[in-house]
Amino acid sequence: MYQLFYTPGWFNGFDLVVEGISLIVALLIAAYSWKAYKVTRENKFGYFSFAFILVALGLGFKMFTSGVLYYSSLRNVVADVLAPAVGPQLQFADLFYRGAFFLEMLSFLGAWLLIFFVSQKSRERLHQYYEVSQIGLFAYLILLISFVSNFKYSVFYLTSAVILGMTVLNYYKNYLNTNRNKNARLVMLSFLFILISNLFFIFVFIWQNFYVLGEVFLLIGFLMLLSAYRKVRK
Amino acid sequence: MAVRRSRMELIYDILIAIQNKGGIIKPTHLMYKSNLSHKLLTMYMDELIQKELILISEEFNKKRKTTSKTIALTDKGSMFLAEYRRMREFTEAFGL
Repeated sequence: MYQLFYTPGWFNGFDLVVEGISLIVALLIAAYSWKAYKVTRENKFGYFSFAFILVALGLGFKMFTSGVLYYSSLRNVVADVLAPAVGPQLQFADLFYRGAFFLEMLSFLGAWLLIFFVSQKSRERLHQYYEVSQIGLFAYLILLISFVSNFKYSVFYLTSAVILGMTVLNYYKNYLNTNRNKNARLVMLSFLFILISNLFFIFVFIWQNFYVLGEVFLLIGFLMLLSAYRKVRK
Repeated sequence: MAVRRSRMELIYDILIAIQNKGGIIKPTHLMYKSNLSHKLLTMYMDELIQKELILISEEFNKKRKTTSKTIALTDKGSMFLAEYRRMREFTEAFGL
């Protein structure tokens, strides 16, 4: 059985709940942003919606890979589904785990990068055609990091932390520019908590319970995003 | 230098100008309140009438024996304003 890292056995299943809640929050924000795009026809809303769909996808892949590891019934179902396709060489199922991890990391990194670009003020965003090549470079780096992270998971969390750190800075600027808007502060803090959760995940190899702390901070971050979303919708 | 308003911002400015006048306004007043040229205002008003966000009615003034136009905000227009305010809050909060 392939695993990225080892986590406390007693926490198995609880992380699925955390990720399930976070997935719902991500989908709510994606749906509202898409609605705003349909009304205003401004691309920034479309990109923001797509970013949170990627977050939801990443969480979905994480839930799937964790669920297959934790629950033998789900593992048996997956084996039954894969067996006709893979045959007696099911021992190579590690490839499918790696594939799922790869998709999880690709989704998350793509999402954080898109949110980073969208959270920048419009004059700082990439507009010129030649800058589209920079987007291509970022896309390549995300693919590379997602591939490498299968062998060294901390690379993914480190990269996520760096992108999230820059995003938090953008949201801090936004908080100041909006005359210290309370909702803007809530969004800034939520991304800060998600950043802290990624920092904990980097150091799981030192102490397994950092995974628990990481999941708790991730949950708090997404609950704060939900709170901001609800306040805006009132 | 004044920032160019987007299409949605222009529509918002027109509708909020009507709402601030109690839901009914004269075209000239609307032009000044929304800070638009006559040509541009007419263009947007046609669109808003099509989308049933505003209504134009004519009143006959018996004393002056002339008809005067007024622009009224519909319920749909009020709902659009409320939804647009929510979207502005969303935009501000999420730094879009």
